[in-house]
Amino acid sequence: MQTSTASPDTQADNLRRAAIDKSVKGPVLFLFLNGAFWLMASTILGVLAAIKQFAPDFLGACSVLQYGRLQPTHINALVYGWGVQVGLGVMLWIMARRSGQELRTGKSVLYVAAVFWNIAVTLGLVAILVGKSTSMQWLEMPAFVWPVLLVSFLAFAWPMVFMFGRAFRPEGFMVSTWYILGACFWFPWIFITANVALHCLPGLGALGAGINAWYVHTVILLFFAPVAIGAAYYFIPKVTGQPIASSQLSQIGFWLLAILGGWTGMQHYMGGPLPAWMPALGAAAGVLLLIPVGVVGLNHHLTTLGKHNLVASSPTLRFVFFGALFYPVSGAILALISNFSTGATLQFTQAWYGFQIVAVYGFFSMTVFGAIYYIVPRLTGCEWLSVRLIRNHFWFSVYGIGTIVVTSLVAGAQQGGDLNSPEMWDQDFMQLALNLRPYIIARAIAWALITWSNVWFLIHLMLMVAGLGRRSSAPTLLEHDHEEVLPQAAHA
Amino acid sequence: MSQFRTFIIALVASFGLPWLCLIVVPAIKYQSLSQVAYDKDRDGLEGLYPPAPINRQGQLIYAREGCVQCHTQMIRPTQLALDGWRKGWGQDQEARPTVPTRSNTLRDYLGEPFAFLGVQRNGPDLTNYGWRAPDRNLIHQMLYAPKSLHDWSNMPSFAHLYTERLAQGQTSIKALKLSKKFAVKEGYEVIPTEEAEALVDYLLSLKKDYPVPGESAAVAAAPAAAAK
Repeated sequence: MQTSTASPDTQADNLRRAAIDKSVKGPVLFLFLNGAFWLMASTILGVLAAIKQFAPDFLGACSVLQYGRLQPTHINALVYGWGVQVGLGVMLWIMARRSGQELRTGKSVLYVAAVFWNIAVTLGLVAILVGKSTSMQWLEMPAFVWPVLLVSFLAFAWPMVFMFGRAFRPEGFMVSTWYILGACFWFPWIFITANVALHCLPGLGALGAGINAWYVHTVILLFFAPVAIGAAYYFIPKVTGQPIASSQLSQIGFWLLAILGGWTGMQHYMGGPLPAWMPALGAAAGVLLLIPVGVVGLNHHLTTLGKHNLVASSPTLRFVFFGALFYPVSGAILALISNFSTGATLQFTQAWYGFQIVAVYGFFSMTVFGAIYYIVPRLTGCEWLSVRLIRNHFWFSVYGIGTIVVTSLVAGAQQGGDLNSPEMWDQDFMQLALNLRPYIIARAIAWALITWSNVWFLIHLMLMVAGLGRRSSAPTLLEHDHEEVLPQAAHA
Repeated sequence: MSQFRTFIIALVASFGLPWLCLIVVPAIKYQSLSQVAYDKDRDGLEGLYPPAPINRQGQLIYAREGCVQCHTQMIRPTQLALDGWRKGWGQDQEARPTVPTRSNTLRDYLGEPFAFLGVQRNGPDLTNYGWRAPDRNLIHQMLYAPKSLHDWSNMPSFAHLYTERLAQGQTSIKALKLSKKFAVKEGYEVIPTEEAEALVDYLLSLKKDYPVPGESAAVAAAPAAAAK
């Protein structure tokens, strides 16, 4: 920080920022660290699940490690252990910073909530493995888990709403906090609705399956997407030093997502037992979502225009940039699996897995990695240790995710073609199983690469939290040969 | 603060509408969904539709083992996919059925707390498995050692639903007849547990293509129980 040249105003700003950072430090770091642990666990489970899918006898016939139990555990660890947990950390920090509000009271409540969140996730995942799975997608954890998760989430959402309410807003419209407030508000609503409908009501039959699909889609579109877009809207201008290109585009992007997001989901069971208008609406919304997705993508693109050299040097911008790039990609894949022509081919295939991974990992997690690379040094007061580790993390993640998404989509097309091939109407599933095998092997390898990068990410993060980072006033940049320095704001 | 209020109201309105239309109203209406009677003159059938409930105990095993990850329970209509024409996926087990198996309706899953429509179709669809199921012992063998039936099978073995015990005197009639490669030690036998029996009961109860009252019957006037 160039405090020597800074005016008294900047100095006061810096002090205020430091005070805000200090007030949220403990809970945010706790969430990040636990989240990184679950991420590693989830990727290891991802490797195992992929291997078990093509070689069911791998590691013997142990009941705990069968594909039907491993796969949901892998996804749930990714969603609740990592996704929602770090999402909350990033939301809390950005909301505090952007509203200019310290976390005044209730820090201990946050710690308790975070601890209970992790206990609940642990119990839930172990329960799936030992045979208590409900087999509802993303809700496989037994019924006792969700109230704990809900209360913990609300304990974090509550102070964020207050921060937003108290915020001093000279500019009027703050797009990143809108998204984050939206996420605070949508997630509990969706979560309560789905859990009450599926666990408490006497039984909804096929409608329950539709609600389940709705839950998965809305959590992706109205929790993961807003958190990641909010973070991208915060960090891209911050690091590039340019204002968001168009406030109008960002408003359009926000409200269209808010309006369309809730209608998606039922198209997952197109051609199924649900009344035909439900999947039809979901398909229409899934395709129309291309508009807000494209608008936000364009806005991010315009904001980074002319600053692409920073993508090479700033770890934050590099991750956020690629995360933001994956948003239109996820939107395109959603449109592909939602409409009734390609969607019918890709239904019940690996493409569905590809969509979940591109949305939760490619888009959400990559953006959140960028946020973590920015936030953690400011909370711990030391800089990231190793450029090489960050670079490893980036490239292994990008190639790993790219491989998983591409192979899942191609595998989906292959599988859908096989299922629908008129030549195979009286065949058993041998050809299908054999055709699928290479793609699943590729997925296992890709998850192994990602696991490798995540192990180092976790170690790097642990060292930072332990305060063993570099003591330096200069941030860790990926390339130093560019003499052009980052704008002042990026250091703050 | 007024801006804050407008914002919240807009959020509630934009999400509340799909929430009401897709979740709340259908869930309330679903409560009044019940079995309907066949009309003897119109449908040529008697009794109630859907006739037989599924085996819930077995369905719980189906859920906890995560069978849904690879098996679907949903036949799509012919304009979307060829599910209905696949051999053996409906009541008609002929190699070339005259009409495709019908796609499913909301009532087909009546009485099930949650319909396991499935995640992926890495294995065959099980909507109407009860019609094409081989005898009990063969299903048990499939669950215990899938590769003993198809060496290419990527289905996991559910050996933990079976107990291996010392054969006393004559081998039990319940004991699995395994080929040499998959057989257990001499003098021992493999017996299905109650859970395995429940799972098989459930699989045998999967028959979701009974004619819909008032619609032309897919399988012409086949009495529900006559086929098997």
